[in-house]
Amino acid sequence: MTGSLALTPQLTQTPMRSAATVRDNVLVDRAKAGDRLAFSQLVETHYDFIFRTACKWTGKKSDAEDIAQEVCIKLATAIQSFDGRSAFTSWLYRVTLNMVRDMQRSTTRRGKTVDAFALVHPEDDPGGQEEATAAKEIWTAVSALPEKQREAIMLVYAEDMNHADAAVIMGCKEATVSWHIHEAKKTLRGLL
Amino acid sequence: MTDEALFQLKTLRAPQPSPEAKKLALNAAMLAFDAEQAKRPAAKAGWLSRWKIGAGLGVPLGTAVAALVLLPLGTQMYTATSQRADGLPPKGDVTIASSDDKPADVSIAKEKTGPTAPVVSTLATAEPAKPVGEAKDEETGLAGTVTTTEEAPVEMDQLTAIAPAPEQAMGRDALTKMAAPPSANATASGGMASLNAIPLQPEGDNFLKFDENRVKITKEEPVSTFSIDVDTASYSYVRGLLEDGYLPEPEAVRLEEMINYFPYDYPAPASIDTPFQATMTVIPTPWNPKTELLEIGIKGYVPPATERQPENLTFLIDTSGSMDEDNKLPLLKRSFGLLVDSLQPEDTVSIVTYAGSAGLVLRPTKAKDRSSIIDALERLYAGGPTDGADGLALAYRVAEGAKTPGSVNRVILATDGDFNVGIDDPDALKTYIKTQRDQGVFLSVLGFGRGNLDDELMQSLAQNGNGNASYIDNFREAQKVLVEEGGANLVTIAKDVKIQVEFNPGVVSEYRLIGYETRALNREDFNNDAVDAGEIGAGHTVTALYEITPVGSGAELNDPLRYSTDAANEVSADDEIGFLKMRYKAPDGDTSKLIETPIGRDLMLNDIAEAGTDQRFAAAVAAFGQKLKGSNYGGSMSWQQIADLANGAKGDDANGYRAEFVQMIKLAALLNPDHSAGGKSGADDLNGGKAASASAN
Repeated sequence: MTGSLALTPQLTQTPMRSAATVRDNVLVDRAKAGDRLAFSQLVETHYDFIFRTACKWTGKKSDAEDIAQEVCIKLATAIQSFDGRSAFTSWLYRVTLNMVRDMQRSTTRRGKTVDAFALVHPEDDPGGQEEATAAKEIWTAVSALPEKQREAIMLVYAEDMNHADAAVIMGCKEATVSWHIHEAKKTLRGLL
Repeated sequence: MTDEALFQLKTLRAPQPSPEAKKLALNAAMLAFDAEQAKRPAAKAGWLSRWKIGAGLGVPLGTAVAALVLLPLGTQMYTATSQRADGLPPKGDVTIASSDDKPADVSIAKEKTGPTAPVVSTLATAEPAKPVGEAKDEETGLAGTVTTTEEAPVEMDQLTAIAPAPEQAMGRDALTKMAAPPSANATASGGMASLNAIPLQPEGDNFLKFDENRVKITKEEPVSTFSIDVDTASYSYVRGLLEDGYLPEPEAVRLEEMINYFPYDYPAPASIDTPFQATMTVIPTPWNPKTELLEIGIKGYVPPATERQPENLTFLIDTSGSMDEDNKLPLLKRSFGLLVDSLQPEDTVSIVTYAGSAGLVLRPTKAKDRSSIIDALERLYAGGPTDGADGLALAYRVAEGAKTPGSVNRVILATDGDFNVGIDDPDALKTYIKTQRDQGVFLSVLGFGRGNLDDELMQSLAQNGNGNASYIDNFREAQKVLVEEGGANLVTIAKDVKIQVEFNPGVVSEYRLIGYETRALNREDFNNDAVDAGEIGAGHTVTALYEITPVGSGAELNDPLRYSTDAANEVSADDEIGFLKMRYKAPDGDTSKLIETPIGRDLMLNDIAEAGTDQRFAAAVAAFGQKLKGSNYGGSMSWQQIADLANGAKGDDANGYRAEFVQMIKLAALLNPDHSAGGKSGADDLNGGKAASASAN
């Protein structure tokens, strides 16, 4: 638990930035300077990413839309604090995940939404039902885990991150991520 | 659950967002953006120059002057503790300046789900009120000004969370970067939930605990069954956190793993015919004068030195590129060096690497030729592609070739999670390892770095190979696992060890098993040999504690039933507290054997001082763990009392583990002082403190 998020070396920073990252950073700089068009382009470009991330975590379309809207509003101010040391999308992922956490922790909110599970599986079409059902069952089991375990599992397995990257998102040590994964697997063992 | 199953999560896709929702969100974002821009005419100048202007021109704005004068006490305090002696913003400027627009900020962030219209109206009304040239850092701004709303404690939390971070030199970017994302969330939900981007461990306000074992009524549920557990990971984890200055989450504290971390000097069985022996004591519970603590200490048989069979060890070492980190290959080399030092001259060591630089690095070499072995270890380097070198098969062939009559043959696989050992399919791998085990070559697995460690596969490989899986996260742990517990971790003496205790309702009215929540078995599992349980190695100790409430002590947590009949006491054995049964299988056996022994009343000691140091120390660890996790039970002892109990029970403590534990208690006491109604979680206390400071503004 040493250090802070700000101190942690940004894993996504590589010497070779992709074109998209460069474009993001240009837009961010302009938006920071007050360029309305740049900001709108930035939000427009990334809305789907925010929504999908939120949806993957909440499993509910309406919740994801609410979260995405809040993130967009937040960006108007938070953009000033983005300093380009990590990729814009990693930063945005963290902002979104924070919003997801809050929504899920707010008890008034919990249980109020009754929408159907919104995530889809490529095999949802006739023929691959079994696989799709299994994936959804796993998601449901994972979403019932304690928060840290759920986050660790989602980041490592659903988002396919390595433990170090997940640790940066979660703001903890790599070993702690591994620990949560270990614990989560213990909990999940026998459930599925 | 297997990785394969979990990776199915990756296949789930989010649906397309609805265009309406997207449009609403974009509009809301633009409104917020416009409002933000209107607030900051000096935006283009950048923050630092703005601050210089503010300071240099003698603060041109009335509100800002007031701000500097009325710098909130709380903020000052936090600023002071964070030692911002650098170019960071004087909080007052930022803070007060934004006080006027506070309603606007809050309303923006709080407009959670509503349509866009309300956002417009709040923004519109708030906007004109904003003074020109104010600082724009809402995140920090809210901290000082919102004293009556629920956000205040949250923001103060952020400040303290930031304070200990040693990044003063990084200036404002670092500060706001940390503050910004949580801030939005805080205002959105009003909880202190938002802190988890910051590694403040005790942040879990509504953290889910794993269910602690409850008190059971003996008459209703007289039998308690569980599997032994020699896992100790929880202790190392908790130790690491406390040493870094954080309180662990309650769920991270597993009482049995903490208790079992320590070696206890229970008497060992005399022969391998009874591979382990239970020592029982009943002492007054340190945290509850009315109850008793039943301690069951189990020690595995220790083969005498004369019976020691020569060891034939083959190190199978992962040298893939990912091992090139300080806590991986370099630590591995030093760890194996320790192990080599602990071997007898006639023991044999071979080294095989896989992934990266693959092949036989060291032919079977007697341990007396230490320098050759160490040289070979030293020459290992991590690098190269992870190719499917047939490392495992090679290691087994080498081990096979180095077998001597009566030798204990073992492959020790050391990796950071890369199991690309030549067999891809985990099941085939397990079968292969099982076959080799049956031919007399066992497998142990050492995990390093924990980076991408596949704990489950590691555990199951080791289990199939009759070995242990251990994590080596530092040199000290290497010493513990490889040298001190080398015997226990290399030689399994009994497997599938289950424990069942039947309590006598005539003597014990209630009982509670401390820890072992994840190791609970059903009552019927005890006699079912198909149900797997834990293993015991040579000389291993395992300790289980029950807090028991004697009949008539008045400490019962459950009221007696109005309509119950009291004829349940069928065996009138008033001199027995209960009956202990243990089942185990020989390392190569398939059917279990039973060890039974009554738990007599004569085991009860009237004074805890009469108990041995082991018993008292285990009680202290239990008390510490319970208090640390904010258990419903046993929070009544002060840290000092626990420390005193542990200190007086250190015994020999040849390795210093117990002394280290006492230091840990002191750390915990600093982090979660006792005045906060003992047993409460650290988060509660921190909140309380901060809320108070915040309201002082």
